[in-house]
Amino acid sequence: MPPSPPLRERTAGPAAPPDAVPPDPPVADAGRQRPERAALLRRIGLRVLALAVLLGLWQTVTALQLWSPVLVPSPAAVWQALLETSGTHDGVRGYQGHTLVEHLGISLRRILIGAGAGVAAGLVLGVLMGTLPWVRVVLEPAVAFLRTLPPLAYFSLLIIWFGIDEAPKLWLLAIAAMPPVAVATASAVASAPTALVEAARAIGARRRQVVTSVVLPSALPEILVGVRLAFGIAYSSVVAAETVNGLPGIGGLIRDAQRYNQSDTVVLGLFAIGVSGLLIDAALRLLSDRLAPWRGHT
Amino acid sequence: MPSAPDTEKTRAPEPPGSAPVVSVRGLRHSYGRGPDAVTALGPLSLEIPAGEFLVLVGPSGCGKSTLLRLIAGFEHAAEGSVEVFGERPEPGGRAGIVFQQPRLFPWRTVGDNIGLALAYAGVPRSERPERVAGLLDRVGLAGTAGRRVWQISGGQQQRVAIARALAGGKRLLLLDEPFAALDALTRERLQEDLRTMSAETGTTAVFVTHSVDEAVFLGSRAIVLTNRPGTVALDLPIGLPRTGAGPDELRGLPAYAALRAEIGTAVREAAG
Repeated sequence: MPPSPPLRERTAGPAAPPDAVPPDPPVADAGRQRPERAALLRRIGLRVLALAVLLGLWQTVTALQLWSPVLVPSPAAVWQALLETSGTHDGVRGYQGHTLVEHLGISLRRILIGAGAGVAAGLVLGVLMGTLPWVRVVLEPAVAFLRTLPPLAYFSLLIIWFGIDEAPKLWLLAIAAMPPVAVATASAVASAPTALVEAARAIGARRRQVVTSVVLPSALPEILVGVRLAFGIAYSSVVAAETVNGLPGIGGLIRDAQRYNQSDTVVLGLFAIGVSGLLIDAALRLLSDRLAPWRGHT
Repeated sequence: MPSAPDTEKTRAPEPPGSAPVVSVRGLRHSYGRGPDAVTALGPLSLEIPAGEFLVLVGPSGCGKSTLLRLIAGFEHAAEGSVEVFGERPEPGGRAGIVFQQPRLFPWRTVGDNIGLALAYAGVPRSERPERVAGLLDRVGLAGTAGRRVWQISGGQQQRVAIARALAGGKRLLLLDEPFAALDALTRERLQEDLRTMSAETGTTAVFVTHSVDEAVFLGSRAIVLTNRPGTVALDLPIGLPRTGAGPDELRGLPAYAALRAEIGTAVREAAG
């Protein structure tokens, strides 16, 4: 995996939600709103169409039986897998005793705890790196080093250290999520606008008050981008985290289904990860618009 | 120690003969070191008594903004001394500062921008909303406390910046070309309001501008600085009435035109 894929690539899939429009100034421009809405509808329509074409192609390829259904499962087979893993069939509950939603939920919980801890650590490190130059000198190479490592590489070491239960999985997600937040925070904190720092000093802010009243708020939009990136990376690392003793878990489900050549279940797992990842990214984007409504107004 | 939380209410000008609010002695300031050093300012000495509205005029690069930053305490003199209320100045001390750009915090509402200044000045939380409302009223923006900074116009933002500078009962205002970036109409209205406010409250002010008209209209005294290094080329009291006369009436006075001409000539000569 390349170190930290740019955000654009991660969210630019065909099903990506339309870019959240930054809150407009209250001066409503009624003349411009209609064409904007039409453009939005056209874009959504185009995406739905593209999706339908893709599904049709997929259906055609499987109907032509160019490859064995074991290699390329049909849309119907994947749908069947969804139904089977979502309920109880022949006395078997879901997949290996857990429904698809449960597998996904367990993975999401790991991401939330692991990446959450990584984000928190990245924030602290980033603020220290951004405010104290010597901390930056000391830590920057270490963070950059960690950032280039593929999570699977250090997972082996984590298993030796922490066993095969939850601990190594959470550590992996934390370590994967920390660097982007630390880097974004450090750069944002270090580049606090001097004009506003001076304005704060002019009204009597002391050193620490300058940090809380200017440096951190002005860094927030950039930090939130780092957080989104971190959750994205954690999301793409969850399968790596669940390669060992990953059941229940969506990554474990994919690994397990692979061992039995159940390609329909594998594809289903991919869709589950992809769709939930897009939803979470959209939620984070919405959240950052809420938390930093002044973005673009500085 | 934070300055005593005075009220922003009208205060009587200090009795004549009291110590000057600002005193600059033998000031010389330069940028860089050794043979490359550029003397930006000085030698320069001046005193600003309480209640005076001093306007610093001069061509670009004459060091008038540098002088203001030295009085504000953002920079410290290489030679000589600057005292504000008898102390070495520090930012956030006893002077309120207004910059050319409003420099408001966009993550805070209009009211919270002023509230922060009150908090740093040691005003208890319970008193702040009322003081914020009073300050906004004084700059003609009553009822805008809840607005977002980017929802108000540039002129209104600069009014908020003035209110923020006054917060905490500041008795000295330092203004660095605060109206230069505004359109002509807005600029005139802010000039009028600032003139009225300073006359009513007796706040001492140091106002930097390159506009001769602004200097005559606003100042009770004007100092023209020469080109680099900036020294005093002209120190002129402006004896125009501070109250009672409307802006048009004021600009129509023969004395107004005479002062404009005299200061204008001095500025042109200073620019060389």
